Amino acid sequence: MSSYLVLRQMLESRLTQPSRKWLKAVGAEIADGVTDTRFCGLLSLASRHARDSVALEPGEKELEAANRTVEGWNPERWTLLESLRVVIVLSRSDLSEESAHLAIEEGFRYADEGELRGLYRSLALLPDPERFTWRAGEGCRTNMRSVFEAVALDTPFPARYFDDVAWKQAVIKCIFIGAPLWRLWGLDTRLSADLARMALDLADERRSAGRTVQHELWLCLGPHLDGRAMASLEQELDPGNSHTLGRRAAAYALARGERTDRLEELIKSEKIPSVRAAMEDALAGSTASSAFRALYHH
Amino acid sequence: MRFFDPHIHVTSRTTDDLENMAAAGVRAVIEPAFWVGQPRTTLGAFTDYFSSLIGWERFRASQFGISHYCAIGLNSKEANNEGLAREVLEIVPRFALKEGVVAIGEIGFDEITAAEEFAYTEQVQFARQNDMVVMVHSPHRDKKRGIVRSLEIARDLGFPMEKLVIDHNNEETVEDTLEFGAWAAFTIYPHTKMGSERMCEIVKKYGPERLIVDSSADWGVSDPLSVPKTAKLMLERGLSPEAVELTTWQNALDAYAQSGQIDVEALLQKPPIDQTQLYADNSVLRGQAPRVEAVPN
Repeated sequence: MSSYLVLRQMLESRLTQPSRKWLKAVGAEIADGVTDTRFCGLLSLASRHARDSVALEPGEKELEAANRTVEGWNPERWTLLESLRVVIVLSRSDLSEESAHLAIEEGFRYADEGELRGLYRSLALLPDPERFTWRAGEGCRTNMRSVFEAVALDTPFPARYFDDVAWKQAVIKCIFIGAPLWRLWGLDTRLSADLARMALDLADERRSAGRTVQHELWLCLGPHLDGRAMASLEQELDPGNSHTLGRRAAAYALARGERTDRLEELIKSEKIPSVRAAMEDALAGSTASSAFRALYHH
Repeated sequence: MRFFDPHIHVTSRTTDDLENMAAAGVRAVIEPAFWVGQPRTTLGAFTDYFSSLIGWERFRASQFGISHYCAIGLNSKEANNEGLAREVLEIVPRFALKEGVVAIGEIGFDEITAAEEFAYTEQVQFARQNDMVVMVHSPHRDKKRGIVRSLEIARDLGFPMEKLVIDHNNEETVEDTLEFGAWAAFTIYPHTKMGSERMCEIVKKYGPERLIVDSSADWGVSDPLSVPKTAKLMLERGLSPEAVELTTWQNALDAYAQSGQIDVEALLQKPPIDQTQLYADNSVLRGQAPRVEAVPN
């Protein structure tokens, strides 16, 4: 099944009857070929048929089906309106052709905030997504967190298509603006010594400014636990550090860097239950970046 | 006291802000060209923006007794839209040599890409050829590397370091900036770049020479009174009045007066407020009685 069909089926059970009828009609119209102005108009008109305040809330089976069509595509946090806009994009019958590329670029050019999210979310589902690599990079330069998250999170696009510079910027920007880095798909496949260096520089800046270090920063170290990284982690893990969330994240970072020897030493004297629990979990093998999901629920 | 805020985007601020700034002693500002919060898509948008900096915004500030200078340049973020960026680079010289344009800026790095480096290099070269000052924006992410890169490029182009102002420094970057011989500016933001307390510590540690305080107030959460507030705190924390004067007035003046575009003698006089003036038949007033008086400090 294609991404289009998976999403279309999800919408079938979630749109009202009049909106389903509308989507059926415009889907056929788009497939027949529409002007760029009409295409952009339909992206706007979608807001009259689905609300941004309503979550798509896909079920487990639907999420699995989505991930089967494009690995890394996770519509778990999409809104109904975003989903409808993506279906409108995917309804084109010329998606592999230059005409679709130009029409989608027109869409970006005149988009409002909600349309930007819908358009960015569609990119990984298009044929030859790498055509839109510059556009996605532009999306990451946004000042609107909602738009940044639509470009960067729950999609395989950055990990698959970004060059080294854009990739590292996307990672550090997540930390900088507080977008959940564990939702950046493929993080663990593109860790590097230079990314670790950027993260450690940021940790130094934060400490010089008398601020806490964002806990997800420690995800960036991965296996690159050299002397500098260890010193920075030890500082974070210090029992005198009242930023417990940071200590828990640093515990995972030790395990991610295969320093379970140090973790086993530290756990012996650890007094705070939540930090102990993180250390135990890390020692038990929770070392993927997704382990950080749990740190958002407390 | 009188203050010089050498980095503020007054186009994003209200007349209330301008009034409060003047009342707090802000006598002069520099408004560098930057991005407007979202990417522009046409050359015309840049043309009109640059034009407003040397036109309406200068007039608007003057109506509150504030001398307004500006810097013209293509910012780092929008340098990444390479086609449009090249068009913008072609019109930068049309505005950069106008009266009252004290620098090329703010230019520099955002993501430290090749496109950003191209735009930065072109503009530093233009500044060197025209004996101009350059105001450098430093990145949020990978700041230290971005600053060192912008210093190295300028040095390698033979750009005089005494005409280079590196902005948005922090504790981790100030030493590099000073060692290269450039001016080190600090943006005082309530929550992110630099707070007033930290600024006091930096002035204590490094001394006031070549350090500049600015607000970079814009459309985001920021404070157009950052410079006078920081000056007050510096005095409370025991810094000498001379150090405060250097970091909140004289250093900025010395750095940017190198452009020859600041009439220093006129600036040292108390500027009059005369709201009976019009700009292209437009007034900043909305039916109020015009104020004609001296600035309050």
